[in-house]
Amino acid sequence: MNKLLKTVQAAALFLVFLPVPSFATQMHSGAEGIIVHQLGHLFFLFSMVVLILTITGKELNRSKGWRLIQYAAFFFILWNMAAFGAHLLDNQINLVKVSDITFSSITISSETDSRLIETAYYLLKLDHLLCVPAIFLLYRGLCSLQVKGES
Amino acid sequence: MTVSYLPMLTVDVAGSVTMIIFAFMSLNRATGLKEKHPENILFLYLVWICAGFTIFSVSRSFGHLLKQLLILSGNAEVWGYLGPYSGAINTTSFMIVGLITLFFKQSRQINMELLSSRKSLEETRVKLMNLNQTLEQKVVERTEMLTSSEHKCRRIFEQSLDTILVTDDNWRILETNPAGVHMTGYTRNELVIGGMHMETLFADKSEWTRISRIIETKEYVLNEEIEFIRPDGSIQHVILTGGIDYGAFGCDRRFHFIIKNINEKKEMEKQIAQADKLAAVGELSAGVAHEINNPLGIIMGHTQLILKQESEDEFKYYQDLKTIEKHVKNCRTVVADLLAFSRKGNTEYGVIDINRIIGDVAGFIRNHSDFRDVEIALEQTEESALEAMGNEQELRQVFINLMINACHAVEKRGNISITTEKDNTGRIIVNVLDNGCGIRRKDIAKIFDPFFTTKPVGQGTGLGLSVSYGIIKNFGGTITAGNRKGGGARFTVTLPAAEETRETQ
Repeated sequence: MNKLLKTVQAAALFLVFLPVPSFATQMHSGAEGIIVHQLGHLFFLFSMVVLILTITGKELNRSKGWRLIQYAAFFFILWNMAAFGAHLLDNQINLVKVSDITFSSITISSETDSRLIETAYYLLKLDHLLCVPAIFLLYRGLCSLQVKGES
Repeated sequence: MTVSYLPMLTVDVAGSVTMIIFAFMSLNRATGLKEKHPENILFLYLVWICAGFTIFSVSRSFGHLLKQLLILSGNAEVWGYLGPYSGAINTTSFMIVGLITLFFKQSRQINMELLSSRKSLEETRVKLMNLNQTLEQKVVERTEMLTSSEHKCRRIFEQSLDTILVTDDNWRILETNPAGVHMTGYTRNELVIGGMHMETLFADKSEWTRISRIIETKEYVLNEEIEFIRPDGSIQHVILTGGIDYGAFGCDRRFHFIIKNINEKKEMEKQIAQADKLAAVGELSAGVAHEINNPLGIIMGHTQLILKQESEDEFKYYQDLKTIEKHVKNCRTVVADLLAFSRKGNTEYGVIDINRIIGDVAGFIRNHSDFRDVEIALEQTEESALEAMGNEQELRQVFINLMINACHAVEKRGNISITTEKDNTGRIIVNVLDNGCGIRRKDIAKIFDPFFTTKPVGQGTGLGLSVSYGIIKNFGGTITAGNRKGGGARFTVTLPAAEETRETQ
């Protein structure tokens, strides 16, 4: 015990009296933000997959409420995929650019001039069509659980 | 490509608003579920996940709405500044949702374990309750059995006609039943509360030493015939059985005794023996008297014949003959008494009024000089006529004998009382009581024997009571002698009522 204490004390003295340049603080580029966000989407997606599998594994899906929550998770997976795709195109690899946004129109252009990518991007931007059903199914599932609990 | 922005705008704005609304509604539902089932950890988990979704929806939807507003208002560069913050909040919020979701499995596991523990606890509680109920039921049943058994034992103890005694290790009486109190003559306080020593009850202390030694050696004593002494000095014949009780649950050693009163049995045995003896003596006396009576008659006849023929002045043996005549007469009286005792003489039987005879006898006796200072009291029942079958003359003789004896007992100065009554079987009871010196214990057994007397020589023939015994026996009755509690003797004559005798005949 005394030996360990002496070693720690020696290390402390070494650090205080013999300093060297510090490289602890690392510089971060602007791309980190989108990567973290994309990882967040993937993590969210992964957690929803785990939720679906857990509900199935524990046979909770025999109950309507949990089954609806499972569906909600599925829609959240789809939404994550859509969001991930949209962010990939416009933020991460900058394959698609949006300009001239007015109430009546929007211009979507891709680096490769691919009509398919532009159309896909347009559809992916309608991601609320996936996350709104997801949250609605979550709500319905909770309603069902409440009804079951009361009965 | 240039396309319509309106669908995108509409879906974005409406979707954002709808997301916020449903997120809050979900959170509300989840909170409701949690409040209703606070013990269910899954609902707590749902609250957390809904809270995560709500944060996510609010941050994301507000971000989208702000973005649309800024772009459409021509301030897209402002969104350029705000966008990263909105994105960061979004990222954080769905990371939180993801994290919470990943805990679902663990939460459910915890919940299952909790439910399982709860179920197990409930089962244990039910088992305990059942056990408790069973135990209570058993306690009730055993208590009832114990109460019933105790009641039964208590009844046997209380109702037993034999004495039951329990003593401690030092032979001090701990418990006895009412029969014990009645038999010993001591009060319950003296026996039990006073912790009377067993030895006190024994008339002969050496007997107690012997009995206690047997119990200590053999651990029991069986049917030992002994004598108890009562507080008034009277003797009680008993049969004693006893043993050691080592008890249970570390109780001290105790002794249990069952004591049977055989006083009456003893008395009866004595009376039977006495009756047998007197019967034998009676037979013998009758034979002897019959053999002597004839020679006495001849002696008497010849003596009186000579005395009749000779003159008193001229015949020098005249006085001698007179003496012979006198003693022969005495002898004949004794022989007549003997015959009367054995009932060999002639008798005439009829219905006798006992009260009248006793009244006559008392009247006759009062005039006798020996009874001058004796108070004679009659207590005659007036319920109904006391009529017995017998010879009036002989019965008079019986009562005269008893009263003369009483007079001698009080030494011619005292009280004699005669009571008459009918017992519950209809027999006539006559008691002749005096306040004299009483009868000595050793004399009681011999008092009806012929020629037994306590009077000085020459004052009594010892035939009075034996003759009375013979007469009463001949009438189908009994005569017993004893001492009174307050002092003095008691003679009891029991006679069958006339109607009873007639029915028997």
